[in-house]
Amino acid sequence: MLAASNIHFCIKQRPIVDQASLSLEAGEVLAILGPNGAGKSTLFKILSGEVSCKHGSVGYNGCPIHNLKSKQLAEIRAVMPQHSQVNFPFTSQEVVELGLVACKTNKPQQLVKEVMELTQTSHLKERVFNQLSGGEKQRVQLARVLVQIWENKPFPRYLLLDEPTSALDIAQQHSVLQIVKELKNRNIGVLLILHDLNLAAQYADRIILLKNGIIAGCGETSEVLQEGILSKVFEHPVTIMIHPITGRKIISTDHFYSNPSKNLKTIQYGNSF
Amino acid sequence: MISVAQSISKRNLKVTVLSGLGIFLLVIGVFSMSQGAFAISLSQSISILLSELGIQLSDFNSQQANVLLQIRLPRILLATLVGGGLGISGAALQGLFRNPLVEPGLIGVSSGSALFAVIFLVFAPTTIALSWIQNLGMPLFAFLGGLIHVVAVYLLGQSSNKTNTNNLILAGVAINALAGALIGLTLFYSDDAAIRSFTFWSLGDLGGATWEKMPTATILIAIPSLLLFSQSKNLNAISLGEQEAFHMGINVPALKVKLLLITALIVGVAVSLTGMIGFVGLVVPHLIRISFGADHKLLLPASFLLGAILLNVADLLARTIAIPAELPIGVITALLGAPFFIYLISNFNSSKN
Repeated sequence: MLAASNIHFCIKQRPIVDQASLSLEAGEVLAILGPNGAGKSTLFKILSGEVSCKHGSVGYNGCPIHNLKSKQLAEIRAVMPQHSQVNFPFTSQEVVELGLVACKTNKPQQLVKEVMELTQTSHLKERVFNQLSGGEKQRVQLARVLVQIWENKPFPRYLLLDEPTSALDIAQQHSVLQIVKELKNRNIGVLLILHDLNLAAQYADRIILLKNGIIAGCGETSEVLQEGILSKVFEHPVTIMIHPITGRKIISTDHFYSNPSKNLKTIQYGNSF
Repeated sequence: MISVAQSISKRNLKVTVLSGLGIFLLVIGVFSMSQGAFAISLSQSISILLSELGIQLSDFNSQQANVLLQIRLPRILLATLVGGGLGISGAALQGLFRNPLVEPGLIGVSSGSALFAVIFLVFAPTTIALSWIQNLGMPLFAFLGGLIHVVAVYLLGQSSNKTNTNNLILAGVAINALAGALIGLTLFYSDDAAIRSFTFWSLGDLGGATWEKMPTATILIAIPSLLLFSQSKNLNAISLGEQEAFHMGINVPALKVKLLLITALIVGVAVSLTGMIGFVGLVVPHLIRISFGADHKLLLPASFLLGAILLNVADLLARTIAIPAELPIGVITALLGAPFFIYLISNFNSSKN
């Protein structure tokens, strides 16, 4: 289990993350949602071990993060930051192989091959990474972080993704999240930051809503995705509908459904011009 | 060029490239032994070398053997070690800073080393300077100077945990200017002979190569270079970003310290032996990367070999263009390197936009 309790992190005495606690089990997809500046990225960096936090604790599989060396940590969790730049002409396969740089494994070739097939990047392996499209780059990066924790181990592993779908078109978004969802069967827990509420509704098992560094909502996806709390957290009217075929929740951010009186005003404005 | 690399498997590519460069280095070395003010033919130089191994071929006189074994051979070996050291340090520094414009000379390692070497030369008591301490003391002092400078430039080039290229290069320029001024000042307050050696420090010279210098050069350049080879995987990882390298399980602060120490040592020793020789560390890793890809497992050893080749060629030109006079070797490397650097800057900007 990835467990964090009472995380408190300040920059110049302004709390960025305020008394946040969360947990992530293997085989679970947990999405962190929240408006810009809510502290999602900071919380993410604290969980990944990149930023150390004086107040509160983070632990992987029961071991406090500060007792783990970076090498040990790399065997338990892999992290995909939002933007990764590669300044040198590495091929895609070389980038993916780098995921194993600190891992001991006796079948590196096979692991690389498997994740590249899974992320549909096998045909790109000889191409220079910098010359790929945004979506291809993202899938190669996903393969790189996946290979790090891909091998079956006796302990659960975790994958941390910071907005993995931000640079992708609709089809790519779904294919990436579908891959992420299938990781459940490999004893891997996934934590990801998302901006798209509907993607969260479709793929997350649990959701954490973050607002001003405080956890404003936490629970099963269907519990958290409520009109009232979402409108309040995002300071924007939100309407929830049910998809006629799948029966899943659809989150609409259209003004019309949420606040008829305000909507009427816009129509009136429209007429007056 | 990449397509050439693709058609051969990676391991074969590495073996082919390294053995190709190795053979080329050998050919250049033997050829430049037969060139120079004193006439020794190619076949004579080969037979002089072989006679040392007990094989007699064609005729040569003892003067020829002396020139070849006491003057040219150590010089070629020194060019090989210094050129290789500069090439591999350039490759490692570019990887560490994730920036293809970085070079030991550009970011102040060389000038820092030169400054400290000059200070040692001028201020160390002559009694000490004559003893064995000079053979070891000056390189180590130069190493210290290079290290101080590279750390200063590195810190100035950091902004909010990221390496800012503009800051880095500007810091390098500032530190270089300062070191240059201090070298001039130090030499101004010393005797005439030292003033004449200013060219040596600013443009480099391989003319001082002797067998006595070889142990220091071998131990303090070759061994750190081997240590750098062992860091190729880590350099690959850090090329993706410091953050990413940490996530992949690399101890980033320790790696940075290790790389800065090793490269400062190599460059410091090289500068203390041959003065500042610019652009080798910039051009060489580039040529390898464009031709054979960015994997440091190949890049590092190939940069060593190509650096050695380049410096041997440059030295050959430097001592044969104006026989019997010699051009400072830095003139040759700068003539080759500066246009290349300008080309890189213009390319670097257009690729970013």
